[in-house]
Amino acid sequence: MDPQRYADLFRSESGEQLSEINRALLDLEAAPADLGPVHVLFRAVHTLKGMSATMGYAGVAAFAHELESLLDRVRGGEQGISAELMDVLFAAADVLESGIERAVNKQGDPPELSTVLEQMRHVAGGGATAEFHAVTGEYSAAAPRPVSLDEGPGVLVRVRQRADTMLPGVRAFLVVQKARTLGEVVAVSPPIEELQGAERPQAFAFRLVTTRPTAEIEAAIVAAGDIEHVEVSSGPGRHRAVRMAAAEDEAAPAPRGARHVRIELARLDTLMNLIGELVITRGRLLQLTAARSDAALDEAMTQASRLIGDLQAEVMASRMVPVWQVFDRFPRLVRDAARQLHKEIEFSVEGKEIELDRSLLDEIGEPVVHLLRNAVDHGIEAPEVRVAQGKPRTGRLLLSASRERSAVLVRVADDGRGIDRQRVLARAHELGMVGPEVTRLDAEQLFRVIASPGFSTAAAVSNLSGRGVGIDAVQARVRQLGGVVELETVPGEGTSITLRLPQTLAIVRAVLARVGGEQYALPIQHVRETLEWSTEAVQKVQGREVLVLRDEVLPLVRLREVMRTPGRGRDEKADIVVLERGDRRAGLLVDELTDQQDIVVKQFDAVRDGLALFSGATILADGRPALIVDVASLL
Amino acid sequence: MPTVLICDDAIFMRTMVGDILQQAGFEVVGEAETGAQAVEKYKQLKPDLVTMDIVMPDMGGIDAVREITKFDPGAKVLMCSAMGQQALVVEAIQAGAKDFVVKPFQPSRVLEAVQRVLG
Repeated sequence: MDPQRYADLFRSESGEQLSEINRALLDLEAAPADLGPVHVLFRAVHTLKGMSATMGYAGVAAFAHELESLLDRVRGGEQGISAELMDVLFAAADVLESGIERAVNKQGDPPELSTVLEQMRHVAGGGATAEFHAVTGEYSAAAPRPVSLDEGPGVLVRVRQRADTMLPGVRAFLVVQKARTLGEVVAVSPPIEELQGAERPQAFAFRLVTTRPTAEIEAAIVAAGDIEHVEVSSGPGRHRAVRMAAAEDEAAPAPRGARHVRIELARLDTLMNLIGELVITRGRLLQLTAARSDAALDEAMTQASRLIGDLQAEVMASRMVPVWQVFDRFPRLVRDAARQLHKEIEFSVEGKEIELDRSLLDEIGEPVVHLLRNAVDHGIEAPEVRVAQGKPRTGRLLLSASRERSAVLVRVADDGRGIDRQRVLARAHELGMVGPEVTRLDAEQLFRVIASPGFSTAAAVSNLSGRGVGIDAVQARVRQLGGVVELETVPGEGTSITLRLPQTLAIVRAVLARVGGEQYALPIQHVRETLEWSTEAVQKVQGREVLVLRDEVLPLVRLREVMRTPGRGRDEKADIVVLERGDRRAGLLVDELTDQQDIVVKQFDAVRDGLALFSGATILADGRPALIVDVASLL
Repeated sequence: MPTVLICDDAIFMRTMVGDILQQAGFEVVGEAETGAQAVEKYKQLKPDLVTMDIVMPDMGGIDAVREITKFDPGAKVLMCSAMGQQALVVEAIQAGAKDFVVKPFQPSRVLEAVQRVLG
């Protein structure tokens, strides 16, 4: 077979196993008396071994085999759990990871493989040196599915069911029954028990030992009903295809009875873009049909509009993944960072099941890593320092995800030293970021200062936070995604940084505002209410314009001035949008509110260079472009 | 004209299946509303085709298939199933049923299945 074709599949599948291994290692380290994680480890390593062997990655497979032997001894109580053992196991997990990566890229075994192998043997006192020779055979025997479709007696029969097959599982069973009247069925993939329970039409294959001619076999299979395609072959090329089709099925486990297919992310992106364009077109069509007052046309348009809405929701939903897919690698990261810096940290993760758009999730991985590292490095104090300050020796670090209306909040909170305002202030003075008259930074200023490009108070550039993205990059990235970063810090008590993200990228609902000849889009997420201009609403307090809203007084911003649009609007015709972000609110005065639309966000690449007022651009329903206002920058 | 025995505890279903098959040129020679009746009538009428509901009082469809097949290994029984009864349908096929259709019935589907059973 040609394993390279399936390398990507293997890589993603093995990534899941590796996460599981790391998770189990952390569990084991936290509670060594509980052997539950050892079983998980054993199973995951065993699976990796089999997968690697199937792919022809002998080095990784052999290594996994040794690791498995060691784990077997731990499982059986022959090997005690010690700090030394844990270190070796963590190192082994790393070798597995890099070994797989290198094997996939055909780079050979990682250099540290033999060292860790030695350590494993050393820790096991020579007891874990079981030879590898039996692995491949053992895997085939232990595999839950027969993988002997490839070879053996008889012919290979591949069957694909019609898409409208009723009770497809039963129908597939009937096909196999039918085949049994022609000869002996020696292997079925997926296994017959699974096949007959299938709830969706599928492709399957089996090996049939028979003397009947191909045409007769095919005719008999077709006669079993609802067959779209049947192929009988004995050439090796076919075998491979079927075997891998079976392997692909295998790679997509079906928890809770659901069946899954793997889709390239790029396809979902394309689909999302197309839906975006469709949504824009819908807007245009709605405008056109509204202008006609044709009842039949309206009805059809309403129907189409609803369907497009459903389609959009479905596509969005298909892109949602739980955050644990990215969060699961963080415990290991925090542990390693803490050890390196001799900190004691209890790390917990909450809200793992919260879902985010896949591409968003990928994007926030890096910022979150930075925040975690920052917390470990600069936030949480050394154990002695904590004790001296009367704090618990072990610092706490919490990563949480939660939902708040349409937004998803990702928060990194520590109980460390907080941010030293004096030091930040001194640095800000030095850099001329605030005037010398400023003696105390409020939370917003503080954040603006530390978030500005190039700012760093780190006395020495540490291995952890000194490189990679700075907090300014975190903020830039989150803004680009249509989110905002919020910071709370109490000196001596800790820091909490919250990334407030839209649940999905790309399509947002927006209020459209006109100033002069330009349209601007205001994401509805930040719009609290709208009102018309009136002398009661807009007043002057101490020479500054404010918005009086019921019993509140809010700052008033004129979009015309912000955008430096020439000319004057007529206030008595103006509209006001009340913007809200976190606990900050302000009124925004615009010439006119024109519409509400779903808009497709096209991001700029240059948000950091002079376009800080905008988070992106869009094409409106009537085909005209509009800039999307970054509400955070106005508040 | 081929003959058929229709087994279902609901009159509505028997009528419907009967109509479909009559239009396709079958003669409905008998109806049964329990499994026991089905077995009894099969022995008596020896129809060319049997349609069999799975869930019926007083001996279910699967047991009836088993009994009928024991009496006549060449019996041609078509199971009538609702969605979600796959395990039962598999059992019925193992018991000797030749094919199945799923409610709600579409005439074309029923006739296709009948063709397969008789063909």
